[in-house]
Amino acid sequence: MSLPSDYSNEISALNREIVKAQPADVLQFCANFFLRRLESQRAEFLLSQQHSSPKGRGMAESTFPGNNPFGTSPSGAFTTSGMHSLEEEEENDTIASPTSASFAPGIMDQAPSDSPRESTFGNFGWSAAAGSKPLSPPVFGAADKQSFPNNYNMNRRTSVSAESLNPTSSTHDNWTPPFHQKTPDQQSRLRAAVAGNFLFAPLDDDQSAQVLGALQEKPIPTKGIKVIQQGDVGDYFYVVENGSFDIYVNKSGKLESGPDGLGNRVGTVGPGGSFGELALMYNAPRAATVVSTEASTLWALDRVTFRRILMDSAFQRRRMYEGFLEEVQLLSSLTPYERSKIADALETKKYPAGTTIIREGDVGESFYILETGEAQVFKRGTDKPVKKYKKGDYFGELALLNDAPRAASVVSTTEVKVATLGKNGFQRLLGPVEGIMRRNDPSKASAMDSDAIDPLARK
Amino acid sequence: MAAKIHQMLHHHSSSKDSGAPSEPDSTSPFERQDSAMDRAREDEKRALAQWEDKQRPMSPGEVHMDPERKAVGHSSRTLRKQDFELIKTLGTGTFARVWLVRLLDDRKGAQDSVFALKILRKVDVIRLKQVEHVRNERNVLAAVAGHPFITTMVASFQDHDSLYMLLDYCPGGEVFSYLRRARRFNEPTSQFYAAEIVLILEYLHEKEGVAYRDLKPENILIDAEGHLKLVDFGFAKKVENRETYTLCGTPEYLAPEVIRNTGHGTAVDWWAFGILVYEFLVGQPPFWDQNPMKIYEQIVEGRLRFPSAMSSSARDLISGLCTVDTSKRLGNIQGGAQAVKSHPWFANIDWDQLYQRKVQGPIVPHLRGPADTRNFDEYEPESGEREAYGEELRAKWEGFFDDF
Ligand SMILES: Nc1ncnc2c1ncn2[C@@H]1O[C@H](COP(=O)(O)OP(=O)(O)OP(=O)(O)O)[C@@H](O)[C@H]1O
Repeated sequence: MSLPSDYSNEISALNREIVKAQPADVLQFCANFFLRRLESQRAEFLLSQQHSSPKGRGMAESTFPGNNPFGTSPSGAFTTSGMHSLEEEEENDTIASPTSASFAPGIMDQAPSDSPRESTFGNFGWSAAAGSKPLSPPVFGAADKQSFPNNYNMNRRTSVSAESLNPTSSTHDNWTPPFHQKTPDQQSRLRAAVAGNFLFAPLDDDQSAQVLGALQEKPIPTKGIKVIQQGDVGDYFYVVENGSFDIYVNKSGKLESGPDGLGNRVGTVGPGGSFGELALMYNAPRAATVVSTEASTLWALDRVTFRRILMDSAFQRRRMYEGFLEEVQLLSSLTPYERSKIADALETKKYPAGTTIIREGDVGESFYILETGEAQVFKRGTDKPVKKYKKGDYFGELALLNDAPRAASVVSTTEVKVATLGKNGFQRLLGPVEGIMRRNDPSKASAMDSDAIDPLARK
Repeated sequence: MAAKIHQMLHHHSSSKDSGAPSEPDSTSPFERQDSAMDRAREDEKRALAQWEDKQRPMSPGEVHMDPERKAVGHSSRTLRKQDFELIKTLGTGTFARVWLVRLLDDRKGAQDSVFALKILRKVDVIRLKQVEHVRNERNVLAAVAGHPFITTMVASFQDHDSLYMLLDYCPGGEVFSYLRRARRFNEPTSQFYAAEIVLILEYLHEKEGVAYRDLKPENILIDAEGHLKLVDFGFAKKVENRETYTLCGTPEYLAPEVIRNTGHGTAVDWWAFGILVYEFLVGQPPFWDQNPMKIYEQIVEGRLRFPSAMSSSARDLISGLCTVDTSKRLGNIQGGAQAVKSHPWFANIDWDQLYQRKVQGPIVPHLRGPADTRNFDEYEPESGEREAYGEELRAKWEGFFDDF
């Protein structure tokens, strides 16, 4: 049985005081310490009572700010009904908490509300956490008397940060991601291995080719090699090509020396498995030790490479969009700030050759910029295209202004990539386009000659 | 993770002899003594001792002035660590330690001149690759000094191996402590604190073009009158109309675009603000797991769950703020901060009165005096060992600290 966390917190505070003060009379010192703690807790309590008096233009109700804002209990205690209501909307399939398995449906209904806390919340929070072994036991502050529906870590949270990154095109060094040749087989295996990882899922084809290319082969010659060590700083993410690895977690939070230093074996990874993905975010201590159980091969990817690939392509795409937007006459009065907001909101879409992107007569909804490929403009009654579009050309922008039907159709002649934004999206970000146009010339917006702006609007 | 800085406490006497500094000095140019310098220092200390008296909320326009022309926020060439008595550690961060200090000054009344002094050792800043962040922090704090809800950096200075930021002392401690003790805040309390934060974000984003990037209850302090003060501008950055890419923040509060590295801007603060309001009302943030990767997975998916008893306007506000698509995120869309201020959840807030600090806060700390530290935790004393800021490091980095 472990000691209550409140107790451990107090004792470790006392230990620190003892170290600091080095008292001659230890017993008296401890007695004083506890008296002081008691005094301050009481003061806190009394203080909270005072806060509950109504004042300050009704900012504080008749309750301490700590009251359960949802509960009905006037006592301010964390009530059973409050807990129940927090749970009832949780969808079990998405709960990733280690305690989730023990949320028995309807448990709250069975728990008699006047039973002692431990049994009321028996299947929640604390005891559940102890049974299901989270990586590190959550620590509650000394003031937390009741359990929490979720074993949320109540401590102060530390900030994290990765190395500072500046896009290649904004500096002078010409960075290109490392490239390591792979067979088609290896490539498809790697693709499958990272497919389920949310960090890789949003990558487009180019990015994903770059990232896969950057993975570097790392032979592990024998069994017993610790690829990563719990508690060490981590810079690499690994995918297993072949072989196998055991995963160990030491409760102390780091790999210790000695025979039991590895801690408990919590799992194994084999071909297609991966580990160490947190290192792709920032430099954090490894949560486990991973040891080879035979000669194996890994693919390794470091954080800076991964994040630079993502950053460079995002950066280039944004600058390209901003450049395109500068050419759009209708939007010429946008400030750089507004332009960057629109660039951020543009959505990329791909169409195969022969797709009708907008159709003559339809009500226009969105505006398009041609990012790659080519397209042609057709009007009813003529067989020949009336116009050709290439990279950087834009069309359909009058849709941002009014609901007039499209004056022509645009059909892709090659595979194309377009950046697009709807009228709603535009207005949500910057308000009506009319207002933006009026900035240039107050008379313009009403008397606007649409022909001058969009050839597609020509009747 | 949290590397403690190893600043040894120079034990210098806190008694009366320091009105006229006369200790023998090292050769450091920062500690050079001459009578002109002494006089300038005395002037500066007098101004410091009086700073409290003339405090009143500056208008956003006044705050926005050039720091070198404002009463606060300048880089001081005369102040030194020896001008202060270090009383107690108020907090430690990843690489900084914040002390409660008293201005050493003979004049009467000066006994009451207490400040918070944030001390960063240059070696630690360099080792933890935070040089750029620390420069941003100083410059942003200088630029915003005087805002009613941001901790005022009265001055900054440096010596041979450390950087110093002299801050207004906020005796109420962290909102974090009140929130954890209370478990949850009721709606009026949450609205009051959230509203003051909105005014901060409005100012930072729209007047300064600054993204704060580390909003959380740990970084929000309560001042003697019960108003908020935002501290720790370590990740604050002037972004204006350019997006930025360096991942930083606190796991539960990271915005999806930061995790995905697609470039981020001031919109991350509105996301974090939604998380904050949720945490005020519920007692824990919406996305959480033991395993940080699972937190991030939940964040990029962005599916919020609310306790059934949460008011519909609170849900609506949080959903608007915690929207994965930045082009739909409240605060980032048309209207900016104004759109947040007009949200029904804030219907009871008088924004002008609030900015003027005329609205009474729900918690007003009970204090015995200006130097009362009862609202702060105890921290371990600093360990004695310290890495030297050697010639090599100095040659490479000292230039970066020039304007401190
Ligand atoms: N002006 C102040 N008045 C009172 N206490 C303060 C003040 N400034 C900072 N503190 C205390 O010191 C703590 C650490 O300060 P701060 O967050 O600025 O340091 P940091 O090293 O940048 O932190 P982190 O590693 O969390 O980013 C704060 O959380 C707060 O408790």
